[in-house]
Amino acid sequence: MYQTSDIKKGLKIEENGAPYTVVDFLFVKPGKGCAFTRTKLKNLITGSVLDRTYKSGESLVEADVEEHTMQYLYNDGTDFHFMNMEDFSQIGISAETIGNTSDFLVEEMEVQVLFYNNQPVNIDVPNFVELAIEYTEPGIKGNTSQGATKSATLTTGAEVQVPLFLEQGEILKIDTRTRQYVSRVR
Amino acid sequence: MSAVGLRRRATVLAALRSWFAERGFLEVPTPARVPSPAMEEHLHGLPAGDAWLRTSPEFALKRVLAMGLPRIYEIGPCFRAEESGPWHGTEFLMLEWYRVGAPLCALVEDVESLVQACAAALDVSPPTWTHWTVAEAFLTLAKVDLATATVTTLRGHDDDTWDEAFFRCFLDHVEPNLPPATFLRDWPVSQAALATIRTDGHPRAERFEAYLNGVELANAFHELVDATEQRSRFETANRERIGMGFAPHPVDEGLIQAVGQMPPTSGIALGVERLVAALCGWDSIHPGRVSSPAP
Repeated sequence: MYQTSDIKKGLKIEENGAPYTVVDFLFVKPGKGCAFTRTKLKNLITGSVLDRTYKSGESLVEADVEEHTMQYLYNDGTDFHFMNMEDFSQIGISAETIGNTSDFLVEEMEVQVLFYNNQPVNIDVPNFVELAIEYTEPGIKGNTSQGATKSATLTTGAEVQVPLFLEQGEILKIDTRTRQYVSRVR
Repeated sequence: MSAVGLRRRATVLAALRSWFAERGFLEVPTPARVPSPAMEEHLHGLPAGDAWLRTSPEFALKRVLAMGLPRIYEIGPCFRAEESGPWHGTEFLMLEWYRVGAPLCALVEDVESLVQACAAALDVSPPTWTHWTVAEAFLTLAKVDLATATVTTLRGHDDDTWDEAFFRCFLDHVEPNLPPATFLRDWPVSQAALATIRTDGHPRAERFEAYLNGVELANAFHELVDATEQRSRFETANRERIGMGFAPHPVDEGLIQAVGQMPPTSGIALGVERLVAALCGWDSIHPGRVSSPAP
């Protein structure tokens, strides 16, 4: 249990059965009223932000969360399997838990896996990955017109929008947070 | 703490003192070490030997009013335990002034005029004030009718008292959305503290608060002058303190005697460092203060 006086940025707490981290907090006290701590909390699973005001003296439940560096091994058709880089234990994580970054996973990629109550709840893939184009319509040489894009399927199955001049087989740098093409890797 | 910040504070202090001098107020420094730090259940004093550091100069200034001085003010340090943050310091600079025989609205005019004088001294534009009752602010900003409000309609938690739910709603929905400069008058009776209570219509405390840029700047009372009622409020606050697990405050007999001898008076307390910060557009009081080395 934490007290309101323990609140600081980065504190991991449980609220409505979900793990949150404190991203901001402020001590507030009306001159004639009791003290409160106003917080901005980020849900560690969904990333959504919650405003929560705690009364002075209220207790906060500590969230049982741990983060481990794990290596992606393979997909068995249902689950994605990862190995803990510290104790080499392996676990399978469903595509649903991984969310929309599962199609950026390549073998041996290191990711951060968040465990809540010993269950994997979220994974963070690197912000940038380099992947080859598996299929795209033939490129139009010299067409560098601003903003014009076409769809490209990458070797992992991810579909992204790329500029018209790119060809099959070329390697791209992709921002996994926005799913946007960043540059061509030479 | 910054050189610019300290100059701004000095400018405001000089403007305040000349504002009071022009209106015939007497500056009365009173002791910082006092027999009782406060009456209210939510104020926590710092012990100083066998006495306390004051949380406000109110009790001593009321003894001065009982002597027959009609217009007095004090600017000095006050101390509140367990308060620190961007807008709070355990030690802070408080301004209090009293007008014997004046209605509460005279202090509204004082705040407007005094803030204008400080803004002029700092060469910043003065604020334009909005005048609301607390009920109007709740209705407008939180869509809550205070006359019929319950812990649930105030969006309080199950274990909140009505006052706690009131402040939770106030802090979450009202205070962050107040117009830049706002007077809020007519507070719930349970938050009267040392104010008189009006019983025409829905009962309410004759109290107002001034907010500047979302920050509570000042609190004013039409002062309670009934010694029996004063003693009973002291005892109620102490029962609430004990219920919350805090030690009771010593009952200040000098204050109770003074309250019984005081003429009808309006009085107000204003956070000087908050005034400086709000007028200068800072996001905390601290640029205008000398930081205290860690103990």
